[in-house]
Amino acid sequence: MRLNLIKSNTILLISLLVVGCSRQGNTNPDVEGVESQGSLSLVANGEDFVREGFVTKDGWQINFERVDIAVGEVTAYQVEGGFNPEAKSQIKSETAIRLVQEAQTINLAQGEEDADPIVITQSKAPKGFYNALSWKMLPITDQSIAGSHTILLEGTATKAKRKINFVLGFNQPTKYVCGEFVGDSRKGLLQPNDIAEVEMTFHFDHIFGDGEADADDEINQNAVGFQPLADLATSDTLELGWQDLEQNLSPEEYQKLTNAIAGLGHVGEGHCSVTHP
Amino acid sequence: MKNWQVLLWLGLNCMAVQPALAHGAKIEYGQAAAIIIRATYDDGTPMAQAQAVVYSPEDPTTPWLKGMTDEKGEFTFVPNKDVSGNWDVKVRQSGHGSIISIPITEGLIASEEKPEIDRVELLSSNSDLTPLQKILMAAAGIWGFIGTALFFSRNPSSHQKSVRQ
Repeated sequence: MRLNLIKSNTILLISLLVVGCSRQGNTNPDVEGVESQGSLSLVANGEDFVREGFVTKDGWQINFERVDIAVGEVTAYQVEGGFNPEAKSQIKSETAIRLVQEAQTINLAQGEEDADPIVITQSKAPKGFYNALSWKMLPITDQSIAGSHTILLEGTATKAKRKINFVLGFNQPTKYVCGEFVGDSRKGLLQPNDIAEVEMTFHFDHIFGDGEADADDEINQNAVGFQPLADLATSDTLELGWQDLEQNLSPEEYQKLTNAIAGLGHVGEGHCSVTHP
Repeated sequence: MKNWQVLLWLGLNCMAVQPALAHGAKIEYGQAAAIIIRATYDDGTPMAQAQAVVYSPEDPTTPWLKGMTDEKGEFTFVPNKDVSGNWDVKVRQSGHGSIISIPITEGLIASEEKPEIDRVELLSSNSDLTPLQKILMAAAGIWGFIGTALFFSRNPSSHQKSVRQ
């Protein structure tokens, strides 16, 4: 009797180990079967500002060679009745799909000027309306400049006859929790055997301002612009990490930059709640 | 032609022409429950003259109605009372936008209370488990209880015997 008990327990334990191991690498629920699934695409969009270049609020023409960000723990949610990030609350959802786990570095400036948003991953997911999204900005694995950074900008800034080659590292680990994508179309509605998209959008005009908007426009009032950074350049080169910026910018400009970086993450035009884990 | 004949002829002509007056306007009225939304920026400034788009629960990807907010940032619409569910309204202006979901049953807001906003993070440690995995975990727990019960209910003499051996 005792021997049988040990045998049964051993078999059960092995079964559990096998089942437990089989779920590793697939954290997504698969409760409704293949016939009720579709493919959920995660895309990142730096908008025209990043791909085409733009004029800052203080008249610098910016063109990017590289806009690296690292994102991780990206999760799409189905929330009954929608999720309001302005309420600074947590998401309650019965279907949550982890699209990216470990940090993944993306160059938002890649592709042609009119390129589509960058596809990061595509996962099988249960049908439904993915109307909330969260992700973390994590440190980039890059040694272009000293220090740790979550955003790396490389490009040129031109004004009148002056041209500055810059490499800037911003370090601000952030978690964004967002509601539904807000834009020309609706995104995230996944039908069986179809493809839907969820989008992380990054508004770099929040950092540099927009030369096409009025000076007293909110976007320009809250942006740092490029001039405070240009003032730190040695001749035609500017290579600064986050510590350098903290030490050399005025406290007001540094705070403005910090706030602007926190406000980068959006879902289209939809805002997100921001925390610093 | 006699006068009465002229009048009759004119009268008949008028009657004959009347149906051709196709530009007549007709106004009717009735009562319906309207939904009013008010869109503002973070600082409370109204989103005046912003684009407003309404989506019916029947087709959440195709706009059911498009319009503009007024100077107070308000937009009014009357949902189809035969279509119950979440009616979504999107408001956008100058790169800012938001979307709200309004639960409507038979043309009326389903609950007078504001939508639940205090939410709890769902992603608990076992939210990714399949039913099979959950059943196996439950079975392991039950089997553990049975095993423990059998251990304590065993015959003491057999235990002593096994110790002697």
